[in-house]
Order: sequence, then structure tokens, then C-alpha cells
Amino acid sequence: MSVKVRIPTPLQKLTNGKADVECGAKSINDLIDELERDYPGLKERLTDEGRVRRFINIYVNDEDIRFLNKEATALKDGDNISIVPAIAGGSAGATVRT
Amino acid sequence: MELTIRKKDLDQIVDHCNSCLPDEACGILAGGDGRVEKIYRMTSARPGPASYEMDPGEQFRVLKDIRQSGRALVGIYHSHPGNPAYPSGIDVEKAYWPGTLFPNYPGAVHVIVSLMDRLNPAVKGYTIDKGEVAEVALQVV
Repeated sequence: MSVKVRIPTPLQKLTNGKADVECGAKSINDLIDELERDYPGLKERLTDEGRVRRFINIYVNDEDIRFLNKEATALKDGDNISIVPAIAGGSAGATVRT
Repeated sequence: MELTIRKKDLDQIVDHCNSCLPDEACGILAGGDGRVEKIYRMTSARPGPASYEMDPGEQFRVLKDIRQSGRALVGIYHSHPGNPAYPSGIDVEKAYWPGTLFPNYPGAVHVIVSLMDRLNPAVKGYTIDKGEVAEVALQVV
């Protein structure tokens, strides 16, 4: 049982520069714990109070876990996991260069 | 550092921003070597006049398309309907991984279209990295 995880660039400092890592997790919760065991600090980057952070999206193959079973989403051999930071912003509180 | 963009692509970006008024528009610029080769108009999942958030599923599919086409994400654009073409506090905050100063998309130029003057939109580009905002010259060809 092995799944492949695509690590986004801003987290690769914690994975010794690796863009892809493999692990044997059976669910997203397991995956987060296994990543934390192998790469300390990742869990805090990915979750807040046990849930995936608001502006972080996790996909199992092409499916957003929010439309599956969220953090309890089961994984199977060969799954590809993607961790994707949201692209967001806006002019609220816009600053003017001085 | 500069970002090269074709005039017709820049016009398309401004058209998109105008078409989303009064809300903000957003999109992704793909290419390589500091040159924009393709524009992706994106859907905001939470449209509003002072904020945007790309539809996550659409964003995932577009990023995959960019990778598979051998391109890279070189820029992210959005509009400021009633504010200057300069990153807001929210733009800066959301450019980084939550709680860090690591950019989510390193090297991406944040292109902002100000529509304060509807007849003369202002378009400027910036990098947001290491806690600093730096203007990037837009070379229109």
C-alpha cells in the first residue's frame, strides 16, 4: 500500500527539497500524521485544530476531499494526493504606496 | 525582473476585469522565462467588489493543464474595481502559506488591474516575497 503526495513548493523546505513523497497512509488523517512523523512541522502547516486549513485544498487524484469524506477520506494503493494552496486576495483594506 | 505580455493578452485581461464589474475578476498567467503565453480567466468562488477566491476545482484543473502543457504559472491577475493597482493587505497575506512568509507560488508576478479610472485602467505587476512587495516591469509587446 503506497500513495504518492505532491508537496507544494512552500512546504518543500520541510521535506528536504522533495517535491514528491510516498507513504502508506490509509486515510487523509493518517497521511497527515505520517507526514508529520517523517517531516516534523508539516502537520502544523496543513491543519488548524485538527482540520485542514481554510485556504489549503487537498485532492485525492482529481477529487477535492471536501466533496469526499474530508479528513476521513480513505486512500487506496496508487492514489495521487495533491496539496494546493488557494489563490485568493482582494482590495479590501487596500494600501496606497507612499 | 520583468514580465513580458502581448498587447492582445493584456487587452483580454482588462476586458475580463471590466466584464466582472462591480466584482473583482481573477485569472492565471501561464508561460515561461518571464513571458506570458496563455491566459486563463478564472471563476471567483466568492465574488465580491473587494475580494476574490479562485474556484478551487477550476484552479486545480488549470494548474494541471499548465503542467501538462510544459508551461509554468508565471503570474496571477486580479482587479481592484475601486482601489489603486497596488497589493492590499489581503493580497499580501494570501500570497503566503498561512502563518509563514513562504510564497504559495514562488516567482509568480501578481498583476493588478485598477479600474478606478474606467477609461484608463492601470495595470501593474509585483512580486510578493520575503515580506516585501516589489514592482515588476510589464513589458507589453
